[in-house]
Amino acid sequence: MNISDKLLQVKAVYKTFGEGQSETVALKGVSFDVLPGEFLGIMGASGSGKTTLLNSVATMLKPTAGQILLEGKNISSFRGSQLAKYRGSKIGYLFQEFELIDNLTARENIILPLSIHGVNPEEQEEQLQKLVKQFDIESVLNKFPSQMSGGQKQRVAAARALISNPSIVLADEPTGALDTKNAKTLMDKLYANNQEEGSTILMVTHDANAASYCSRILFIQDGVIFHELRKKVPGETQNAFYERILTVLAQLGGGSSNVL
Amino acid sequence: MFFDFIKRNSRKVRKENGVYFASLVISIVAFYVILSLGEQDIIVYLKTVESDAVERLLLMIPILYAVSLFFVFFLVYFANRYQLQQRSHEFGMYLMMGMKQSKLFVMIMGETLWNGLVALCIGVPISLFLTELISLATSRLIGMGIIGHEFRISWVGLGLTVFGFIVVQLLAVFILSFRMSGKEPIDLLKDQKEKSQRVLSPVWSMVGILSGAVLLLGAIFLCVAYGLAVLYLRSLDYRIFALILIIGICGTFILFRGLGSLIGAWVKRKSSSSTGLFVFTARQLQENVLHQWGSLAISSLLILMAMVCFAFGTSTALNNSATSSRTVDFTFKGSEEEIVSALTSDKLAPYVNSYNVMELGNFSPIDSETSENTAARTWSGLEEAISKEENSEEKENLLRNLSMNDSPYYISLSSYNTILTSINKAPIILEDDEVAMYSDEEYSYSYDILRTALQNNPTIGIGEKQYELMSTLYTSNVVADRAITLSYALIVPDAIYDSFIGRSQDPWLWNMTLNAEFIEEKGLMQAMYEVEQLMNTFGLDFESYLSSMGRQLFYTVAGSYTTFYLGIMFLIIANTVLGINFLMQQRSTRHRYSTVAMLGASIESLCSSARKQIWLYFGLVISVSLVSSVFGIWSLLTAFPSTTLSIENSMVVAIILIVFIVFELCYIWMIQRKSDEEIKKFKEIE
Repeated sequence: MNISDKLLQVKAVYKTFGEGQSETVALKGVSFDVLPGEFLGIMGASGSGKTTLLNSVATMLKPTAGQILLEGKNISSFRGSQLAKYRGSKIGYLFQEFELIDNLTARENIILPLSIHGVNPEEQEEQLQKLVKQFDIESVLNKFPSQMSGGQKQRVAAARALISNPSIVLADEPTGALDTKNAKTLMDKLYANNQEEGSTILMVTHDANAASYCSRILFIQDGVIFHELRKKVPGETQNAFYERILTVLAQLGGGSSNVL
Repeated sequence: MFFDFIKRNSRKVRKENGVYFASLVISIVAFYVILSLGEQDIIVYLKTVESDAVERLLLMIPILYAVSLFFVFFLVYFANRYQLQQRSHEFGMYLMMGMKQSKLFVMIMGETLWNGLVALCIGVPISLFLTELISLATSRLIGMGIIGHEFRISWVGLGLTVFGFIVVQLLAVFILSFRMSGKEPIDLLKDQKEKSQRVLSPVWSMVGILSGAVLLLGAIFLCVAYGLAVLYLRSLDYRIFALILIIGICGTFILFRGLGSLIGAWVKRKSSSSTGLFVFTARQLQENVLHQWGSLAISSLLILMAMVCFAFGTSTALNNSATSSRTVDFTFKGSEEEIVSALTSDKLAPYVNSYNVMELGNFSPIDSETSENTAARTWSGLEEAISKEENSEEKENLLRNLSMNDSPYYISLSSYNTILTSINKAPIILEDDEVAMYSDEEYSYSYDILRTALQNNPTIGIGEKQYELMSTLYTSNVVADRAITLSYALIVPDAIYDSFIGRSQDPWLWNMTLNAEFIEEKGLMQAMYEVEQLMNTFGLDFESYLSSMGRQLFYTVAGSYTTFYLGIMFLIIANTVLGINFLMQQRSTRHRYSTVAMLGASIESLCSSARKQIWLYFGLVISVSLVSSVFGIWSLLTAFPSTTLSIENSMVVAIILIVFIVFELCYIWMIQRKSDEEIKKFKEIE
């Protein structure tokens, strides 16, 4: 495997908050790679550092030490316009609270990243129509977020994250604010996109059900990656993978001393 | 401890809402300036000249004060409403932590009071300094010796300023916090989110038509108001006036109500063919207009009022200074002996340039029957000429005045020529059977029509004979000020004067002009003032041009000072409400800006989007009021013919307009800087 095969490389990333006595180390040298087309999950208990890790990859936080390379470029050192160029075009975001802009219609929300990056209107429309079908959001296109259900909102947000064909989609607990049915629908759609379009997704989640859609899961605790699960391809069913995830989570609940 | 907490909170409020706080300070200054008017040197001086008029002006001050208080209340209410909304989460937290509702209420009131006191501590010294500066400047301008200058503090004014300001603040916040105290903590905790976009009917075309209709309705209302104002306001009928006000105000409100939906429809149409942050910018603007159409309409009306005030103030100031024509310096009433002996005395003689008797008197034949006949004949020729002119209100007034002017005054040609030569004007040369017409400046409204009528040299009757009127109308005042005010009089050859008046009436008016060198040395006002002091020692009955100047000064001061004052107040309040509205909305939608930044918009493009929003936001309001003000000023000028804006004055008007634009630009720029600061907070990633 040569370096060009790795889409995202996280190299010995440290993140420290506060100074002196109040210093908290959230990430203690996390390293991993993401391959193109991979659906990677990150799981861990509250306070384990998983959201800090995702925010660092998302350029919302700057690592104290270490490098984050996206397509070989160190995005953690980006600033200003360079950063703006990457956001929304190379990186798509899916947040737990949807973060749709509530005075824009669904259509306007979805094409916003393309507009910002100056893509011409015809192309915007073409991309939009493709995603509208995939995520089944035709009926809400002209509605404002306040007129949509939670599930519809998150599907619109997913379409927005994917519209610019980003190199990687970062999803932070995307099912966190959804009921089981809507969560399943969303995960089905994301999985389908990953399988059919080959999009790369990095998802942080608590939810073992959502995690079972992933092809690989990293478990993080106290700022370090301490375990990894891979779905056996081919052969392993989603249910079987789900069972394996639950086993790890149960052990996780018992503390790191009795892990595997 | 609780007090420290209040102090800390109010410091935070001041820091976060600098614009609002600055407006509070300005309103304190404005309150004091208007309330201390009675104590200002110039008014103290004018009281000695024109006590009645000054008293009337001073009676108006409480009204001005009340109007200002009302608008400041409006400002405080709106600004605090947004502030409290912003902090509602914080208040919810206090309640959850066990603070009693009553204590929360005390806290909010305490913060308001404390901020009010801080504003007073800053505002009061500034206003004292400013009034002192105004006093000093006017004294300098007019002459120290006349007005004199001493440092005065208007304690009543100061008291009322503090009282009014604090009461308005407490009342506004009381109402707001009273409304808030009914809410449960959960409502407060969740209340901080901006209202969500209006749920619009799914039938988009209907919405389009509806908003178009609303907009059209608003526009029609405004047009009707404009039309009525221009056509009928001059009749000064209060019913028409009320109708114009109601229709105009409703029109403005409806217009802004419709604008929000219209912008929405426009965005929808453009959104599929735009790039960049266009949609975001337009939607933010739309939301502002949709949710705040009421305060936008009020601000727009306030700016309109400010502009009309400025126009009125400017024209008053300009016209009063334009009509001040000086003919003679002093006019005496009394016997020849008494006056001549005083004027030739050693004390006064060095200052006197010349003195003359003013020969004028009214012709009143003893026989009442002849009087009627004569009166009918005197003006009939002129009246005939006037009735041929176009119908107008001035024409009617003029004809009415002439018909009531039974026995006109006659002015002897030689004494009038003395006046004309003393002010370097060509003397009148009357042909045989010719007389000239005189009219006092107070009747200047009829000058235009009179001058046109005189072009045809109408005839008038004096005694048995008919005389032709000269085509020139003479208006140079026959006395220094108001010893006599002649609406319409005839300047007749001395022979005629002698034959009709000379024998029956002794001259009783004497005019005097001051030595030109003395005036040059001392300045007109100072020179007159000094001579006036001297004359008082002689116990003469006299008047001077100084009182005429004083009166003009007063009307200028009263007319322009008060209107400018109100104009500035309106402008500041309107702008502050707009500015605070915008900044508060921006703060409450911070998360949107950060989301857009996450989607790849650079900080610079976000700043520029916000700047565009500010331009459009202010632009919408200002342009509506600009259009209205064109009609407002137009109808003002037609309704009050004395307020004319001639071409010479247009320079001053242009300057006022430029100052207005510069003021607005500065304000917009300041709000844009604030907004940039707010957005740049997202910039640094940790």
